[in-house]
Amino acid sequence: MMKRETPLLPVSDAREAALFFVVGALCFLAALAALTTRGTYKAAEAWGAQIEGDITVVMRDTDRRTAEQAADRVTGLASVFEARILSREEVEALLEPSLGPGGMPDGLPVPILMVVQADTSVGDPTQSIEGVLDDLSIDGDVAGNAGYAENVRGALGVLRLVALSIVALLSATAVAVIAFATHAALLARRDIVDVLHLSGAEDRFIAGLFERRFWILALQAGLGGSVAALMITALIVFTGSGSDGVEAQLLPRLSLDFWDIVILLVTPLMAGLAARVAARITVLASLKDTL
Amino acid sequence: MSRIRPDLSDEPAVRLDGVSLTYERTGEVLSEIDLILKQGSFTFLTGPSGAGKSSLLKLMYLAHGPTRGGIRLFGRQTYDLKRKQLAALRRRIGVVFQEFRLLNHLTAFENVALPLRVSGMKADNYQNEVIDLLRWVGLGERVDAPTPALSGGEQQRVAIARALINKPDLLIADEPTGNVDPEMGQKILRLFAELNKRVGTTILIATHDLDLIREFDAPVLRLSNGLLVRDVEFGGEA
Repeated sequence: MMKRETPLLPVSDAREAALFFVVGALCFLAALAALTTRGTYKAAEAWGAQIEGDITVVMRDTDRRTAEQAADRVTGLASVFEARILSREEVEALLEPSLGPGGMPDGLPVPILMVVQADTSVGDPTQSIEGVLDDLSIDGDVAGNAGYAENVRGALGVLRLVALSIVALLSATAVAVIAFATHAALLARRDIVDVLHLSGAEDRFIAGLFERRFWILALQAGLGGSVAALMITALIVFTGSGSDGVEAQLLPRLSLDFWDIVILLVTPLMAGLAARVAARITVLASLKDTL
Repeated sequence: MSRIRPDLSDEPAVRLDGVSLTYERTGEVLSEIDLILKQGSFTFLTGPSGAGKSSLLKLMYLAHGPTRGGIRLFGRQTYDLKRKQLAALRRRIGVVFQEFRLLNHLTAFENVALPLRVSGMKADNYQNEVIDLLRWVGLGERVDAPTPALSGGEQQRVAIARALINKPDLLIADEPTGNVDPEMGQKILRLFAELNKRVGTTILIATHDLDLIREFDAPVLRLSNGLLVRDVEFGGEA
């Protein structure tokens, strides 16, 4: 009858339970940070595109009928989704922060405003809109948000960089923790390592024992961390937190699409691989000091 | 134990030239030791406690290096060996440690199989061999016993079986009878003598028990104050 081989390193002890928790927590944070990074990226893309696509046209000294004509022609432009003239009430609402709640005086010359929603990825419609205004002899200005969107993109880029740095920092911390734990395990198992050495084991063989041990530990801990991150993300997504309101548009949006699931699956693998490499390097470096 | 040994070269199994060993804490424990153990020889090493017997053996089984002098094993200088070569050389040496050094989380079978496992052999290739060896040392009924469940004498015999499983060219035993009763001690030494006679393994046994070694016609080396001397009281030729 074939005997099952007992691992040469004894089964886990309390130290490894603590390490399991630390690696699991780091993986949880890393997975959440990665998901947030991706959410930030998506939010930046969507928000930037939306801002860039919002164009305001200010028309002076013209009547509403001509303005409506202009809106119809602008709507017909290739990259434009919609163009509409704001009602007087809407304009009053826009000016309320400056003029107060009493409404505008009747004699005040108020420009007519046209809001245009365009797909800037197809092309910038600013010149075409200006052409329409010229054709209809309308004195007006076309105010795009490209500059503002650029600033927003810049700010979100910094935010992304911060999030990626957090992921990198957490990963580096996990590697350092595992290297430290490997060294401690090596010292704690010095008796076994000595017997293995004197039995003719090569350094690679001994390193392999620690590699496998920490690979499995980090894989399991990483899986635990990923599952926890999945549950938290699912909770946020399905309870709809932050799905509405102006504030929500300024925050990264968590989701659970294909790439998010990939992130959650890759996290434990990366943790396992990092643990494996850290354990190998640590053991080989430590064994060099022995005979 | 039916291995046919390859032709032995003229190189001694062990050759020590002017070997000294100094520990930081205790100072010099071995001084200018010159020693040759021919291949296939059977030798005892005696001396009072603290004479340096274990230190001398450690140098021979490559647990550490000497402070001065040269060690050659099977004709190979050991100080400049690469780690891989060192491991390969260690596989030619079986060691019975004074304190056994068994792995407590393994069974008797697994402890004996350890040198085969580390050399990359698969369990199904050595299972019968390990069980045969355990039977040979009288532990056929204790194959699957966890190490802590074994008595001192049984652990000693597991340690001996582990040292022999690789069919070593050199067997070094440090006080192999230290933890067993005199009767078991005699049995163990006879077992070594049989191994030396039948297989030709070079054997060096450190012991402080002179009564046990009287029946063997083997050279006895004595360590005293770090110096190695031939003990003329006993027979044999080194």
